[in-house]
Amino acid sequence: MSSKKSVGFLASILEQPWGLWTLQARRLARIEVRRNMLSWKATWIYFLAFIPTCIIFIHLLVDRHTTTALTEDTNVLAGIMQFYYIRLGVFFGCLGIFSRLIRGEMVERSLHFYLLAPVRREVLLLAKFIAGSISAIALFAAAVLADFVLMYVGFGPAGQEYIFHGPGLGQLEAYLGIMVLACLGYGAVFLLLSMMFKNPMPAAMLVMGWEAINPVMPSLLQKISVASYLRHLMPITIPGDGIFALLTVQTEPVSAGVAVLGLLLLVGVVLAYSCVRIRRLEIRYTTE
Amino acid sequence: MSVYKHEYRAYEGRLTPAWSRIAVLVRYGMAEAWSSRITIGLLTLSMLPIVVYLVLIFLANNPIARAVIMRGSSAILSINATFFLRVLISQCWLALVLTAWIAPRLVSYDLADNALPILLSHPVSRVGYVVGKFIALVSYLSLATWIPCLLLYAYQGYASAAPWMGANLRIAIGVLIGCGLWITLLSILGLALSSWVKWRMMATGIIFAAVFVPAGIGGIIGAILRTKWGLLLNLPVMMTQIWQRLLGVSAFNRIGAGLPNVAMAGALLLLGLVCVFMLNARIRAREVVRG
Repeated sequence: MSSKKSVGFLASILEQPWGLWTLQARRLARIEVRRNMLSWKATWIYFLAFIPTCIIFIHLLVDRHTTTALTEDTNVLAGIMQFYYIRLGVFFGCLGIFSRLIRGEMVERSLHFYLLAPVRREVLLLAKFIAGSISAIALFAAAVLADFVLMYVGFGPAGQEYIFHGPGLGQLEAYLGIMVLACLGYGAVFLLLSMMFKNPMPAAMLVMGWEAINPVMPSLLQKISVASYLRHLMPITIPGDGIFALLTVQTEPVSAGVAVLGLLLLVGVVLAYSCVRIRRLEIRYTTE
Repeated sequence: MSVYKHEYRAYEGRLTPAWSRIAVLVRYGMAEAWSSRITIGLLTLSMLPIVVYLVLIFLANNPIARAVIMRGSSAILSINATFFLRVLISQCWLALVLTAWIAPRLVSYDLADNALPILLSHPVSRVGYVVGKFIALVSYLSLATWIPCLLLYAYQGYASAAPWMGANLRIAIGVLIGCGLWITLLSILGLALSSWVKWRMMATGIIFAAVFVPAGIGGIIGAILRTKWGLLLNLPVMMTQIWQRLLGVSAFNRIGAGLPNVAMAGALLLLGLVCVFMLNARIRAREVVRG
């Protein structure tokens, strides 16, 4: 009986117009990606992503790269990923990109155009999320790649040896993976917050505070944090110093697979709840 | 009188003084700030640390409480410059939260609704407009920063058995100057950023980002280029150093201890000038219509 039911459920899922939904999502995502990446309003996100690249480039031009400095520079790069990108760059970048997707349309009084179109609201939401993710991942992953290359290119053969025959490529892979997961995690959270609150920024600042105090929370509560999952994926961990100590997440060691799955599960749950919320979304432009 | 004889004539009645026109903007700015329940909630929240500090001062000065709770030891809780530095830091960071909420309310609505041309068609100059909003914001922030800090100072002076206020006058002056500097900086930064961002929600986030992101960039500069000057972009570190030096506390936070006063003053001045430039570029009687 139960197998019959499950077969019926599966059949009903397969009967859905997936082709149409995919086409609609692709079109919507294309519009959003263009708006997120190619407008002058997006320049500040480029600034957030590429300012460390500019500083590393100056370092490449100005400083001498002795072989002894390789370890130090590797630690500095890890610190940039840990303290700048995850805590500040990706956080504020995703806050700007993802809170614009739904709430920005409401402020500009243009969301009703989407809602009046014959598109399922879930498709609209997921397409916007995908578009925001593509923009954020493209920018921050490109920035990380540029940072990595510029950091080691000055060392010449020693740098090449470190990258291609040492732990360099593995670290780069880990950093890129962390950027992708950070963009997805923070993106999902900020998309939900932008639907829940007229001004999602105070809630976003609470999220920032939550991420900061998360290490002192019980292990169950630590699972409701993006940065705590990312921490386990860091190839090199830099202990916080001074004010950065406040931003350091220290959790029990978890395997990389569990951390990735945990974060993806968190993203999935947040997106599922966002889909439920958008079904009940009502626009009152007069109160915006 | 026939219609064609109604010619333009300048107003010949009594003019209000220029300062009172600014006071109108201040009054309406404060009304706008206080119109939100969240504003009241945030101010109440910012008073909670003050209540805790008040209790601590009471405990430190009450011999019975000291005997029962602290077992007569005065070393555990001494009300000195370090104590007031902690008060100052907590209140000043709460002031950042208040600024991020209120500053966009004061400016963004005027810009988003294209109300600036109407406002500036009244006998109020652009400078007067900014000064009016600035005073409204500074007044609000004062309620959370130097006023409660000085009340705590006065209470300590009243509760202390030994003559305290005169001997620790530097604390009061340091608190006043430190808070004044911080709320002036926050107000001008908040207004400048709000004037450049049309959406209030974005302005709130950008005010936070403007404080924390340059701190991160300063950290990167310091780590990569092996220089201490990156700390000049780190507003939290720089302000903590300034507050420490104003109150005469040296052993609180060592980060940024090597920064000279002139460099920090120059960095803050530069930040202020950038904000003034931003305000000058945006606060104009013009309407932008796109599409």
